[in-house]
Amino acid sequence: MKRVSCFAIVLLMAASAAFASLSVHTFTFKYKDANKAADMIKPLLSSEGSMSIQPSANALVVTDRAENLKAITKALTEFDVAPQAFRVFVRLIAAGRAKEGPRVPEEDKDIAPKLGMLGFNSLDDLGSADVSGREGDPGIVTLPTGYRADFKFGDFDPASDSLKVTDLRLSKQQGDQLTQLLKTTLNLRIGETYIVGATKNAQSPRALMIVLVARR
Amino acid sequence: MIQCETFRANVQSRDADVLEHLRKCDACLDYAVSVDPDNFFRAIGGEELVPPGGIDAFASDVMSQIRVRQAEAPGARRFLVAPRRLAAAAAIIVAIGGGWLGYERATQTVAPPVIQAVHKQPLATKPVVETYQSQNATIVEMPSQGGSDANVVMIFDDSLPADL
Repeated sequence: MKRVSCFAIVLLMAASAAFASLSVHTFTFKYKDANKAADMIKPLLSSEGSMSIQPSANALVVTDRAENLKAITKALTEFDVAPQAFRVFVRLIAAGRAKEGPRVPEEDKDIAPKLGMLGFNSLDDLGSADVSGREGDPGIVTLPTGYRADFKFGDFDPASDSLKVTDLRLSKQQGDQLTQLLKTTLNLRIGETYIVGATKNAQSPRALMIVLVARR
Repeated sequence: MIQCETFRANVQSRDADVLEHLRKCDACLDYAVSVDPDNFFRAIGGEELVPPGGIDAFASDVMSQIRVRQAEAPGARRFLVAPRRLAAAAAIIVAIGGGWLGYERATQTVAPPVIQAVHKQPLATKPVVETYQSQNATIVEMPSQGGSDANVVMIFDDSLPADL
């Protein structure tokens, strides 16, 4: 009788311990898509963790250990916020390799040393613009030199403090036609300057430099 | 004061003269202590050592203490029998408590988001170029050295026009 009762107690304790280890939380999103939230928290799940998306309710049901759920809750709370406003500064520069010596306009002197390291010492400013918008809004930059940049203000990622500039299409007016030069999606850390150079190869005499800065 | 011979002849006496001689003559004190050690106490004015209330009262007090302690011992032994029961009770309490905690966690609803103090943590690093139109392009990222230093990303793509 004593053995039976001891066995029952041990079983009860083991069952309660296993039951207590996993918890279930349902997260309903107000501003962001549950699918995107699922992608974001995938790396935070433990090996025992699982989740399921409820598209109709834009909700995510997450089962995991309590300590993991704590981190997931924090990440999702920061993620599901109203679209924030940002400003993206865009500047275009035509960079070349001049044998006769460097030629740098006053407005491009801030980035000239960096481009000089890449062998580009002759710079022509093609124009610049500051575009404001909220996450999800489109942004359009049209420069008098015939260049045009279209993009979308993507999601802000608090973990990397960066704004996604989605589907940035750089085009050039050639006659009556607008020719697309390149299309890319960039992650810009807030407040940092990015120089994205595009050229055919490392020996090309000419490159197009796109200078971008994202700000709040 | 009496003579030393007189004192030694009446060394067991409690007469005032004898005691006075005992206190003043060191040679006779030595003699008296050799005859009876109690004489030393008499020399310093002491009497026979008797506990307060008498020897009988002292002895009965000691015996009553012994009986009280003997009476207490069986009770203490009874407490020593209990550990098994205590362990079983503790196990049951732990099991019930654990089950209840698990049930509470499983059934609790989503807590409202709590705004916590933001601790400065190292930021996650993401590639600058997340996607690019061409799979054949070579993308080289040169991260900044911090501060106002710019991040440089070069895209080498043969499909780009020469007159960018």
